[in-house]
Amino acid sequence: MMVDLATKSLLHDKLRFLITVSGVAFAVTLVFVQVGLFLGLMDNASLTIEHLGADLWVTSHDTKNIDFAHTFPETHVKRVRAIPGVERADNLIVWFMNISLPNGAVEGTEVYALDDFARWNFPWHVTGGNLEDLRRGNYMFLDASAEKRYGGPFAIGEYREVLGRRLKIIGRSEEAKSFTTTPLTFLDFTLAQSLVPSELRGNTTYILVKLAPGANIEQVRGEIRRRLPYNDVFTGKEWASRSRRYWVDSTGLGLNMYLTVFLGCLVGIVVVAQTLYTSTMEHIKEFGTVKAIGGGNADIYAILGKQAAIAAVLGFALGSVMAFALRPLIYKIDLKLVIPPQLFAIVFAGSLVLCLAAAMISFRKVASIDPALVFRT
Amino acid sequence: MILQARNIQKSFTDGKESIPVLRGIDFGVERGEIVSLEGPSGSGKTTFLSILGCILTPSKGDVVIDGEPVGAKQLNAIRKRSLGFVFQQFNLFPSLTALENIEYALNVKGMRGREARTEAARVIEAVGLGDRQAFLPRDLSGGQKQRVAIARALAGNAPILLADEPTANLDSVVGTQVLEMFRALAKKENRALVIVTHDPKVRAVADRVVKIHDGRLSS
Repeated sequence: MMVDLATKSLLHDKLRFLITVSGVAFAVTLVFVQVGLFLGLMDNASLTIEHLGADLWVTSHDTKNIDFAHTFPETHVKRVRAIPGVERADNLIVWFMNISLPNGAVEGTEVYALDDFARWNFPWHVTGGNLEDLRRGNYMFLDASAEKRYGGPFAIGEYREVLGRRLKIIGRSEEAKSFTTTPLTFLDFTLAQSLVPSELRGNTTYILVKLAPGANIEQVRGEIRRRLPYNDVFTGKEWASRSRRYWVDSTGLGLNMYLTVFLGCLVGIVVVAQTLYTSTMEHIKEFGTVKAIGGGNADIYAILGKQAAIAAVLGFALGSVMAFALRPLIYKIDLKLVIPPQLFAIVFAGSLVLCLAAAMISFRKVASIDPALVFRT
Repeated sequence: MILQARNIQKSFTDGKESIPVLRGIDFGVERGEIVSLEGPSGSGKTTFLSILGCILTPSKGDVVIDGEPVGAKQLNAIRKRSLGFVFQQFNLFPSLTALENIEYALNVKGMRGREARTEAARVIEAVGLGDRQAFLPRDLSGGQKQRVAIARALAGNAPILLADEPTANLDSVVGTQVLEMFRALAKKENRALVIVTHDPKVRAVADRVVKIHDGRLSS
């Protein structure tokens, strides 16, 4: 064991140490919050796709994402059902409609319409009502997120007008969200068609396909493409990815995230580099002494490297705590902060690498130290 | 002879001009001998000490330690193995305790763990600071700091000790005490000690006084 000059020297000047760790922590928090919010938004962009769990999605040609659907004949589903390897195929309508609120305001709602919601276990978190009842009349399920967006609570048994038709709320769900933040409403397929006859009569917007056990997904997809040459066919993963990518590419969200992450890293590296460099300059005579008593550049690099690593680890820990502390506040404004273990690992490794890179600026200074300076007063 | 300098010359360049600082010095010191190296400011004595201490390389000439000429690539290794330094400004690490300052120097020289701690404790006792070993430098007086610096130089049994104005920052009484202690320890442990100084008190503890003037030795 060696005397830990690196740690003791780092902790000796507590204010500088605090500034260094705070700089890293700030950068880590910034990266976690920005990337976490981005992932949260992306999560919403494909949440319904993932929960529907279809193996294949048939869409109209060149549809960009799940929210901006286009129609095609509902009878196409029969051609899909006839393909060997298809266990189930159902039409799905996703459509924006207007909903009139009790206070007279008109808001938007994003309608998901299926013949049989229960069979697709959708919506996945039902907190009131029975999905089977949707097909029995002018009924609707509404997601709880509508309460905040529409400015007040709603209760099962109340009525709302959707495109002028009076519908009874017979159930509610939670967690069903779209990237657009428009609250989700769940209607019977035929009812939805009847609400927008000009566009939806005889039409659907998607076909959900569940494969039979053991079926070859590429073979089934190829057959669907052959039978429906004017539609696109995606796997669930591809469709989720395409929906997410649309928002990243078309809104500048991705660029914004990368810029903020870059700025966060820059702030971190500048703070660490600046404080380590200042510290090196202030301790230059000590490093000269290390050389005079027989130490080499490697001994001093080890000191600086360890100091940078300590700043990285503590800054990461503090930054992580701050990011997690912000989570409940972010949830309160209906946003999600998603911090998966991979992000945790990447940010930790990034903090370490950037802090060590920051220390390298001091390495250059140290390499040029003349040990004869120990004789100067 | 444990330390020899043969025809040491050193020049520094200032732009295109070469300024000679040492103009051919022959010097030697035996184990257990204490030499005072005196000279006015600018005479080249600190440069000479740096060369003896394998911190600077001479422009011409050789430094020979224990019969072996020192090559340019061996400077670090020689400093670790054969040399102990005491500086005018003490140059202690402010974040380390007195004992840790000595232990760290031993660590750099390759001695680790309990062995280093035991040796550090031995030398700090030898300089009379056994009761101050857990003190940080800021809590020690100037004389105590210089004793810690002497203990650091003594640690690890380097046969050659080099001191640069060790009493310059001490008052007269403390300076005398430190010098007497330094002499006693160097003699007891049979170390060669070269002290660069302006301080006439050093003469009283030195076996030999060597004067340097304009880069040359004079008696």
